[in-house]
Amino acid sequence: MTIAFAAAIGHAPGWVAWTDRATDDQQANLAAGVEALRESFIAANVDTLILLTSEHWANFFLDHMSPWVVGRGDAFEGPIEQWLKIPKTAIPGDPALANAIVERAYANGVEPGFSYELKLDHGSVVPLSFLTPQLDVPLVPVFFNTLGAPQPSPGRCHALGRAIGEVARASDKRIGIIATGGMSHDPGERGHGVIDSAFDRRFLAEMVRGDTAALTRYSIADLNAAGAGTIELIAWIALAGALGTFSGEVLAYEAVVGWATGMGIMRLEQTG
Amino acid sequence: MSAYTLQKLIRAINSDPAVRARFVEAPEALVGEWALSEEERTALVSRDYGALYRLGVHGLLLRPFSILHDLPEQSYLEMIRGRAS
Repeated sequence: MTIAFAAAIGHAPGWVAWTDRATDDQQANLAAGVEALRESFIAANVDTLILLTSEHWANFFLDHMSPWVVGRGDAFEGPIEQWLKIPKTAIPGDPALANAIVERAYANGVEPGFSYELKLDHGSVVPLSFLTPQLDVPLVPVFFNTLGAPQPSPGRCHALGRAIGEVARASDKRIGIIATGGMSHDPGERGHGVIDSAFDRRFLAEMVRGDTAALTRYSIADLNAAGAGTIELIAWIALAGALGTFSGEVLAYEAVVGWATGMGIMRLEQTG
Repeated sequence: MSAYTLQKLIRAINSDPAVRARFVEAPEALVGEWALSEEERTALVSRDYGALYRLGVHGLLLRPFSILHDLPEQSYLEMIRGRAS
């Protein structure tokens, strides 16, 4: 079976918690983009979502960092932030699919960590709140270390994504894959509010034309040069790996200074 | 990334209500229980965000810590950029 749904989407907490710091035009453009994505999501009739998401010190700290951690739990609680104004809930997991991802990855020579107990923060729940407002679609979260150096390289993230894509295509279920995070931002750092939109537009163009060579050529330093949070785009590169041969469509892009991030919304599909 | 213990304590203050309450009520006592340098202790107790940033505290720990204390974004940025005392 092909991958039923694929998307990449920003997860700025401001999108839900301080929406009005974006201009009216930005809010309208992002709302239209995510509504178009939601319509595609509903039409895809997804059974389980694999969420490629960023660690933000919610689950892990420097006492133990893995490059990636696959969530094998029965359910995942979130959001942990009360100020996000989204009621806390428990989103069901899909342990069988999570196990299949871990096993396939190890067989392919890519070894993610795994956990039966992971919490979700804005990095997961903000995009889900738009696409699955009831927060009830079963989920396999895959957390990426976007914090403690060294982080996994784009090339290795692409390889992990390839294993995830193999599992998604082999599943009897209809699987959706969503990459969250990015784009250019430097949250809490000296460049907070500075957005390299030229970088973002170049990266989006590479995702649109399915340019695997360009995407896997990025170094961590290249991503960091557009702000410390830009490294979250390694999840987007993993999504490219899951899709293999693909193309994408930008549903919205806005450099939202008030949310301190470049916000991209893309729909993608396998083409080969 | 340095300042491991300092960041671990700030993360505990951010995420654990009991530790947070102790930091509010008796910061010197709490900070004294952790293996920090004198410079780190002073910076944390006085909430010197510029010093904490220069000591190596990650922005996604330090900005949430500053929000706990109602520090406006612009003030925070001026402090970590070194344009305020």
